[in-house]
Parts: sequence; structure tokens; C-alpha cells
Amino acid sequence: MLLVAVVSIATIWFAIGGRLDYYVHPRYLVFTVIMASIALALCVARAAMIIRRPVAHTNHDADHDDEDDDPPPATRRQAALSGLAVLVAVGMIVFPPATLSSATALQRDLTGGTTPAGGSSLSSAQSASSAAFAKFTVLDWSSLLRQTSNVSFYAGKPVAVEGFITPSPTDAANTFYLTRFVITCCAVDAQPVGVPVYLPNWRNSYKSDEWLNLTGGFEANHSTSSADPIALVPSGVKKISAPSDPYLY
Amino acid sequence: MPTVVDTRAAAPGSSTFGASRHSSVALVAAIVIALGLVTARMVSSAVVPAGVLPNRLQDGLTLGMSVLIESLPFVVLGIVISIAVRIWLPDGVFVRVLPRSPWLRRIVISFVGMLLPVCECGNVPLARGLMVRGLTVAESMTFLFAAPILNPITVITTAQAFGWSGGILVARIAGGFFIANLLGWLFSRHPDPESLLTAGFAAECRLPAHEEHGTRWNRSVQLFSTEAANLLPALFVGSVAAAAVQTLVPRSVLVVLGTDPIWSVVAMIGLSFIISVCSTVDAFFILPFATTFLPGSITAFLVFGAMIDIRMIALLRTTFSTRTIIQLFAVILLATAALSWLVNLVA
Repeated sequence: MLLVAVVSIATIWFAIGGRLDYYVHPRYLVFTVIMASIALALCVARAAMIIRRPVAHTNHDADHDDEDDDPPPATRRQAALSGLAVLVAVGMIVFPPATLSSATALQRDLTGGTTPAGGSSLSSAQSASSAAFAKFTVLDWSSLLRQTSNVSFYAGKPVAVEGFITPSPTDAANTFYLTRFVITCCAVDAQPVGVPVYLPNWRNSYKSDEWLNLTGGFEANHSTSSADPIALVPSGVKKISAPSDPYLY
Repeated sequence: MPTVVDTRAAAPGSSTFGASRHSSVALVAAIVIALGLVTARMVSSAVVPAGVLPNRLQDGLTLGMSVLIESLPFVVLGIVISIAVRIWLPDGVFVRVLPRSPWLRRIVISFVGMLLPVCECGNVPLARGLMVRGLTVAESMTFLFAAPILNPITVITTAQAFGWSGGILVARIAGGFFIANLLGWLFSRHPDPESLLTAGFAAECRLPAHEEHGTRWNRSVQLFSTEAANLLPALFVGSVAAAAVQTLVPRSVLVVLGTDPIWSVVAMIGLSFIISVCSTVDAFFILPFATTFLPGSITAFLVFGAMIDIRMIALLRTTFSTRTIIQLFAVILLATAALSWLVNLVA
């Protein structure tokens, strides 16, 4: 029962601080908070019950959360499971909420073939105005990059994107991916999307996982070792702090 | 297992006073711990810098927490509905409402999920409640595995994501219905249904129906805490396992197999097992893979993942014996694979 209270408290705490969307899709926000509140209320009610009325049975009363009446082997297993749960609960409380990092981005096939739904299609992009392009996110651009690598399509189109740095596996010194995660349900299914950025010796000024705001244009990739034919060449680079809502949907 | 007689109605000045002192002390200790945790949270948000854990470990923690935070509301909802079924539902409702013949009953029960759109993990407490209330193990299983797919939200999101292309929507719904009823039929033939359950839960089902201690509200609150104590450690373990596997296994391994008609199904079953996405939205998750993977393998993902994954196994373990779970897993795996290979052949 303590576990329920811990998770409910953590959930409500994150929601108040606006950080719940680090973990779950915003569409779940209201439902999650309501359920967490109900759970917490029930825990408090149970606690009140225990105080108010003397409870005599010690044998088969199931309000002993983690003790068990099963024969010893099951008790040891229960104890181990409960210990693990408590460890995770402590982790939830002690460590500040965090977004997923570049380690997960690299591991999840950032450069592979799948792009999440929601990016722009080529046909709609061809008729879009300049102002519309300036609002495109890394999701839109990476969708387009998968659909065409015709350099002339990208010439002259203004690019203004935000994301965090994930080092390129093929040309780590001069190229990185400006990355964001796209979430369907909760962080566990996060799919990374990114656009390759050509910035020679970027490590002198920036670190992996830092958030940047880039403006510039796409050109044929100047890098000799990178696998991407087209890369963003930034004309303006600005460090930003991680946005309060880091994921794309 | 005989229960000790509840002496809650006894006078406070009796010999139960000693026991009540013990519980109050435990309670105060629990509250102190809880307050300590809240304080720790407040302090750590001021003191612990954001990047103190190495990336992979932090991501693992974030992933585990996300599964937990996402699942808990559904589990709580499932417990609440289960409490309604166990304590508030009038006697004999099932007898009146359900048909007599076993396989007809299972068919009707398959559609109960249409009324109660809870995520697959929320269905576990609900299935437990149904079993305690008199449904057979086989019937509860049918409900448990049909409900995640045969529910309005899942159907709508799957239709939104795929439309009629590749027969995926039809295959998912038909597959879910068929497999759930197959499981129900198979297990209904088991000579000793109680042995399918864990010892603890079987005992709970065996308790006579009229153990009335206190008002229905009191019993509801107590039941909530009992069910939470049973399910939460399992949920934690399932979330941690799902997060750990995700952190350790690179995803590109699976994507490579996309176009092979046989191995793509295997890869997708593997992915759906590891990923533990809610059945209500997994259609959107898998949609981008639809360009590289064959329709049968997408079906495999949507059917298998809705029924069973790492987190579900942990939750099922609170109710069913390990042997039962292995059997369930095997049947679902084979049936899903057969269905999906068929779809690949036909579509």
C-alpha cells in the first residue's frame, strides 16, 4: 500500500511541477492525476481505518503490505520483490525527473528507416509557404529527408529547429543529429527523430545532450565520412535550456 | 484456511488494545516514512543536479518510471471496478445475465471489455474480482485476453491508424476474439481449475461469500489496500524489467528482419513483448513500421502485445501459477504466429 502512495505522490508532484509529460503522453494527464488522487485518498482512508479501530487479527489480515502468510519460500520471494520495488520507489523520489538522453536515441535506431507518423508529406511540403517551413520541427524535416534527398528541393527554405545533440556514429567530430523524441503512449515507446547537422569541431563549444536552437539551410553534406547526403548547415546556433515539454507527439 | 474471527466489534478496552497499539505505531512509522520521502523529494530537487546519473542508468530509471506512471491509473481503475464487482454487485447477477452453455458464456464475456475500456494491466484486478464472484477460471481468462482488443478505444485507434489496409483491423479483432475463446475453451477442459491459480488467490476465491465484517465502504477500502499490496510489487517488477530490456537491447536488431514473411512475424512478436505499450494506442506506435514490415507481422504485434508482455507476466503471476502462465504464453504465441503467417500469405 505504501507503494501506491509513493507512486501517487510522485505522479501528483510531477503533474504540479509540469513535469508529468516527461513520462507520459499529455492526453493521459487528467486521467492519471484523477486516478492518482483517488488512489491516494483510498490509502488515507485505509490509514484512518487502522487508527480508528483496533485491529485484532494478525494471521490472515491482508493489510500487512509486504509480509505474507505463505510458506517460507514464497515469503522470501515476496520480500525480494518488495525490496526491489522499494528501491525503485526510492529512485523515483530522490532523482529529479529527467527526459531521455542521447544514449537511448542512438540505441533506438535514430538513423534507421522508420519515421514516426506525424511528419510532413512531400506533397504538402511542396506547396507550403516560407513561414510554414520556419515552423517545421525536426520530425517534419526528418520525414522530408527520408522522402527526398534532392538538394534543390531544400535550397532556399528556411530552417529553424530545436533539439538536443546526439553525436553521429559515422562522423563524430563534425556532425551531430539534432534530436527529439516522439511519444505515442509513454516514454518507454519513445522513438527518436533527428536531422543531421554539419558543424565542424562542434565538440569545442557544445556537449552531447545539450539543447540548441538552430537556424540555417539544408545543403549537400560537406562531411566526408558521414552517411547522410544532406545536412543542415547552421547560420545561427543558440544554446537553450531544455523545454518544459521536450517530446513531440 | 480458517480465518481468525474479526474482533473489530469488540470493546476497545478488551485484550485487543495491545494489537491496536501495535498497528498505530506501525501507522505512525509509515506516515513518518512517507513524510520523509516527500521531504527527500523536495530536498533533492534543490540539491541533486540533473545529470548526476550516467545516461544509460538515468534513461533506464526514466523508462521504468514512465511505465509505472502510465500503468498505475489503469491498475487503480481496474481495482476500483473490481471492488464494485466484488462488493457492490448484487448476488446472482451473473446467473441471470449470462447464457447457460459454457461456450456461449465465454463469447458474451469476450465482449464485456466493450463496456469497460481499461488497459490490459487494469483487467487483471478485474479478472480477479470476477473469479472471486463466481466466474470460472476459464471464463475470466477469456475476458482477460479479449478485453484489451475488443474494446471501443482500441478498435477506433486501430481503425484510425490503419483503416482497412492489409486486413490488419479485421485480423486484429478476429484474432483477439478467437485466441481469447480458444484459451477459455482449452482451460475449461482442465480437470482441476483451482490448480491453475496461485495458492494465495485460490484460497481467496474459496472464502465463503458472506464474510461480512463492517460496512461495504470499509470493506471496499480494505480490499483496495489488499489488492494494491498484491499487484503493486508485480507492477514495479514488470516496469523495471520492461525498462531494463529496452535499455539493453538495441532496436535495430529487430528492424532488419522486416520484409521476411516468417522472421518479420517473430521479430514483431518479440518487439511487442518487450515494448509493453498500452493496447489502446499501440496502433499509432507501430504505424511507422508498416512501411517496412509485412501486414502479418504488424498484426502479430497488435494481437500479441495487447495480450501479453513483460509487465503483464509480472501482474499475471499474482493470480496464476507459473505453469499456467507458461501454457498461456505458448498458446498465445503459437496462435498469433499462425494467424500472422496466414495474413502474410493472404494479404
